[in-house]
Amino acid sequence: RRTGEALRAFHTAIRSSPGNTRSQAMKEQAQGTMLKVLTSFKSSEIEQAVNSLDRNGVDLLMKYIYKGFEKPTENSSAILLQWHEKALAVGGLGSIIRVLTARKTV
Amino acid sequence: SWPLSPPEIALCPNNHEVHIYRKDGAKWSKVHELKEHNGQVTGIDWAPESNRLVTCGTDRNAYVWTLKGNVWKPTLVILRINRAARCVKWSPRENKFAVGSGSRLISICYFEQENDWWVCKHIKKPIRSTVLSLDWHPNNVLLAAGSCDFKCRIFSAYIKEVEERPSPTPWGSKMPFGELMFESSSSCGWVHSVSFSASGSRVAWVSHDSTLCLADAGKKMAVASLCTETLPLLAVTFITEHSLVAAGHDCCPMLFTYEESQGTLTFGGKLDVPKQSSQRGLTARERFQNLDKKASSDTANASLDTLHKNSISQISVLTGGKDKCSQFCTTGMDGGMSIWDVKSLESALKDLKIK
Repeated sequence: RRTGEALRAFHTAIRSSPGNTRSQAMKEQAQGTMLKVLTSFKSSEIEQAVNSLDRNGVDLLMKYIYKGFEKPTENSSAILLQWHEKALAVGGLGSIIRVLTARKTV
Repeated sequence: SWPLSPPEIALCPNNHEVHIYRKDGAKWSKVHELKEHNGQVTGIDWAPESNRLVTCGTDRNAYVWTLKGNVWKPTLVILRINRAARCVKWSPRENKFAVGSGSRLISICYFEQENDWWVCKHIKKPIRSTVLSLDWHPNNVLLAAGSCDFKCRIFSAYIKEVEERPSPTPWGSKMPFGELMFESSSSCGWVHSVSFSASGSRVAWVSHDSTLCLADAGKKMAVASLCTETLPLLAVTFITEHSLVAAGHDCCPMLFTYEESQGTLTFGGKLDVPKQSSQRGLTARERFQNLDKKASSDTANASLDTLHKNSISQISVLTGGKDKCSQFCTTGMDGGMSIWDVKSLESALKDLKIK
């Protein structure tokens, strides 16, 4: 498995995130896809992926990370914590604040 | 609240009173205590030309204070609200003042000569929650209001009894009382503070979702917003037509720049750069104490490096006005007040660019 595939899948998942949907089914599907993509990364690849995002992308990623924390699977929290660390370094506390204040959840 | 001169300041020490301090050389001494409110004083504004104070509080009242001899005499203003008042601002010509409250409306108060008392009119629609902050446009008619319903709005507070009809502005030409001239849509947090630029053609606001936004009437009210990396900002003011200073829960004032041609807001840097103190190692005893108290033997400093040790809740321009500010003042939850000199900041922080 090459790094490029994971990165491409990551960008696709970010881009196709359902923005304004009220459909719980759509949201859960997107959450599931995103979680699969995030957990497929090797620790060493995470930082590069985070740095490739713009400000809105980092905010969106942070929302998915916290969504992932809400429904932990056996190994998900460990990798999500690594994603959280890298996303925090780029997005700052502000990105976490916006997870808490967002009206439109992912 | 600061008047122009002599150096005097009115403040509320988080209770029902207002204390006035006068600066004598380098020392501040308390010269007056204003006791009239039955609840915490939430807003104070000092009108420099007419030398009057207005205060508002959780007792749902406002008082206008005039100095008679050496005593400040209060005049009650009935606001007709059933929740706490939260903020108050004199209009630029000091013939009106606006009070924001938890009653989800703004009381515009003016003096009625015939009856020799203050009356008020209400701006209600479409405000849906507490009004946290207010700022007047230089034309004495338009008023910006930030609310807990996540919106920054500009209303007309035109009072025909005290002024002529205003001439058209970039925000619109028809300004009957209560008219909504602008309403924001971008934020997802309580709007803590609003500020008109000196010319009045721009309005900026900070929200609890850690964003700073600016609406430019010169660009058809286009809104530029910046998602900051900081904790929410609680106060904002323009210091030139393109530069803003904001501060909040990070306890540190920060510079932001508005680039008109691109319609963007950018972070310009923190203005409180702590001096580098020499890092000293911990003694063995201190390590054990840290382990005991905090379950960590980390050498990182647990206390804040910033000047303010708690959130900054207010920023006021002291000298130079909002177009060429040379000094501004911050006050915070730590009970401290700091005065910042713009020129000194520019020379001390090499990469700082105030446009």
